[in-house]
Amino acid sequence: MRGRPNLYTDYRKETAILNTTTQKVWAFIGLILLIISSFFFSQYWMYLVTTALLTAVAAWGLNIVSGFAGQISLAHGAFIGIGTYVSAVLGGVGSSYIRGYELDMMIWLPLAGIVPAIIGLIISPLAVRLKGLNLGLVTLGLVFIASYIFSNWNSVTGGSGIGRKTAKLKIFGIDFNDGFHAGSYHIEKDQFIFFLSLILFIFAGIGVKNLMRSKIGRAYAAIRDRDIAAEAIGINLYRFKASAFALSSFYAGVAGSLIFVMSGGVDPTQFNLVYSVTFIAIVIIGGAGTVLGPLFGAAFFSLIPGVIKYFLHLVGSTADQIPLHPTQIERLVFGLLLIGFLIFEPRGLWGIWFRLRNYFKAWPFSY
Amino acid sequence: MTIFLQASFEGLALGAVYSLVAIGLVLIYKAMDVLSFAQPALAVVGAGIISALAVDRGINFWLAFIVALIATGIIGALSERIFLRPMVGEPVFSVAILTLGLDVLYRTILDNWIGVNPRYMGDPIFSWGEFGSINAGGVILKFQELGALMTAVLSVIFLGYFFKVSKYGLAMRATSFDQETSLAQGINVGRIFGLVWFIAGILAAFAGFFITGGFNLLTQASFISAFRALPAVVIGGLDSIPGAIVGSIIIGLTQGYVAYYQFPFESFTGINLGNGFSLLAPYLIMFVILIVKPDGLFGTEEVERV
Repeated sequence: MRGRPNLYTDYRKETAILNTTTQKVWAFIGLILLIISSFFFSQYWMYLVTTALLTAVAAWGLNIVSGFAGQISLAHGAFIGIGTYVSAVLGGVGSSYIRGYELDMMIWLPLAGIVPAIIGLIISPLAVRLKGLNLGLVTLGLVFIASYIFSNWNSVTGGSGIGRKTAKLKIFGIDFNDGFHAGSYHIEKDQFIFFLSLILFIFAGIGVKNLMRSKIGRAYAAIRDRDIAAEAIGINLYRFKASAFALSSFYAGVAGSLIFVMSGGVDPTQFNLVYSVTFIAIVIIGGAGTVLGPLFGAAFFSLIPGVIKYFLHLVGSTADQIPLHPTQIERLVFGLLLIGFLIFEPRGLWGIWFRLRNYFKAWPFSY
Repeated sequence: MTIFLQASFEGLALGAVYSLVAIGLVLIYKAMDVLSFAQPALAVVGAGIISALAVDRGINFWLAFIVALIATGIIGALSERIFLRPMVGEPVFSVAILTLGLDVLYRTILDNWIGVNPRYMGDPIFSWGEFGSINAGGVILKFQELGALMTAVLSVIFLGYFFKVSKYGLAMRATSFDQETSLAQGINVGRIFGLVWFIAGILAAFAGFFITGGFNLLTQASFISAFRALPAVVIGGLDSIPGAIVGSIIIGLTQGYVAYYQFPFESFTGINLGNGFSLLAPYLIMFVILIVKPDGLFGTEEVERV
C-alpha cells in the first residue's frame, strides 16, 4: 500500500491515532523540534511554551465537556483552581497559617486530577437536569462560588491579594527545585518543568484522541447532536454527562497543578470569570469538537504575549509610551478574536487549517 | 424589628437595581433568543460615562446623567448591529459566548480608564438630607435606594404601557412571538432588535448609576454587582418580565437579610460563613430553584420536538 496513504484496508488502521504517514512524520518532527528548541529558549519563552502546553491540556478538558459532549461549562477555570490548590496543599511548603505537606509529586499530581473530578461528579446532576443556557448560567454561578471560597479559605489559598507558594517538585524523593545534575550536564528547573509538561501533554493528547475514537466519544457526540435521540438509541444520558464533567475536571485539575509551578506562586483572585472565559475562547478560537483545535487555540493564546512583546520591542517603544498595558492589549485582541471567529469562522483555527490542508492536498484541482 | 425593616428596605432597593438589568436581559432574550452576558458590563460602562462627563469634564451632573443614559443605549444598539446581527439564526450557545466576548471588550476598555483608584460619579445625592439619607422611625432610607426603587417601578409601568399601546411595542410583541411571521407582516425586525438593545442599554445604565453612585464608587469590581442580575433572571425564567422582577426581588431580599443576619447566625451556631457571604447567597438560591424548577419560576416550559 505504499504511496497510497489514503487507502485503508482495515478499520483499525483508519481509526489509528496518527492515521497517515504525513501525520506521523509531522508529529515526530514537531516533537523533536520542540525538544531541541527547549535548549535554546530564553527563560521567558520557556515559560510561554510550557504554559501553552499545559493550557492545551486544560483546553482539551473543556473540549471534552463542551466540544464533544455539548454541555456548556463556564466553570472550567474554577476546576483548574481546585487542581492548583490540591497540589499546592499536598506538595507545597506550609507555614504557621498556610497548610502544606511537602509530599512527593507522585502523590499530588494524580490527586490534583482526582479531587476536581470528584467535585465534577458531584455537580454533574445539575448538568443532567438542565441544558443549554440555564446550564451555562449555573456553571457561571459556580465560578463565583469557587472564587468566593478561594478568597476566604485563607489556610489553603493564603487569601486574596496575598496568595501562596505552589507545589514543590520532588519526585521519588529527589528534589528538583534547584535543577538536576545528570552526569556533567545541568538541567534547569524551568527546563525540567517543560519536559514534565511535555510528557503530560503527550499523554493527555493520546487520552483525548482515544476517547474520541472509542464508544464513549461516540456517545458524547450523539448527546451533543441530539440528546433525546441519543437517549432513544440507548445511551445513558446521566452516566455519560457525568463522566464528561468528571473527565473534563480531571484534565483541568492536572493542568492546574503544574500551570503555576513555574511562576512559583498563585493568588486566588486569578481564578475569576475572565479566566474561565479564556478557556472557552481558546476552545472556540481553536475549533470546538476537534483534537487539534484546542492545541492551536492554546498555543495561539499563550504565545500572543510574547509576540506582542516582541513587536513592541521591534518598534522600539516601551510599555509607557502606549496608552494600553500589554495585558490589556492581549485581552482586547482576545475579545475581538473570540467575536471574530464566532462570526466568520465558527470552526476556528482548525477550520482554517482544514481548508488549507485540503487545498494543498487536492492541488491543482479545486477539490 | 428595625433591623428587619432596614434589611427588607435595602434588599428591595437592591432588587430594584437588579430588576433594571434583568428586564433588559429578558427583553433581549424574548426578542432575539439571545442571552446577553454583556449587560452587566454595559451597566458599568454607563456609570463610567457619567463619571467621565460629570467629574472629568465638569459637566452638570443631571445633563451628564441623561447623556450617559442615551450614549449607553446607543452603544448597546451599535453592538447589536455590528456584532450580533450577523449571528441571527446561529446556535444560542455561540451567540451567548459572543456576548461574553463583548463583555471582555467593554470591561477591558473601561478598566483601563478606571485605573487603580475608584471613580466618583459627581452626583449631588450625598448632600441631600443627612448624608444622602432620611431617617424614617429608625430605618435609614438612602435617597439613592429610594431612587432605584422609583426608577424600577416607573420603568416597569412605562414599559408595560409602551408594549400595550404603542406601535413599536406591538411590533416587539409580534417579533418575540415569531420573527419570520412578523417580517412577513411588514415589521422591520432589525429595527426592533436595535430598539430592544437601546432600551436594555438605558436600563443597564440606570442600574450602573445606582450601583456606583453615592458612597459606592466605580471600581474595576463594580460589574460583579450587576452580574447578580443573571441569577435573578434564571430564577424568574429567561422569558418572563414578571419573572425577572420577582427573581430580582428574591435575590435582593436574600442579599439584604443575609447581610444583616449573617453575624447573629454565626455567633448563634458557631459556623463561620466568611466575609461577604451575602454576595454568594444569590447563586446558592439559584441552584436550589433550578434543581426544583429547571425553567425558572415563571418561565415557559421548553417543549421539544423529537
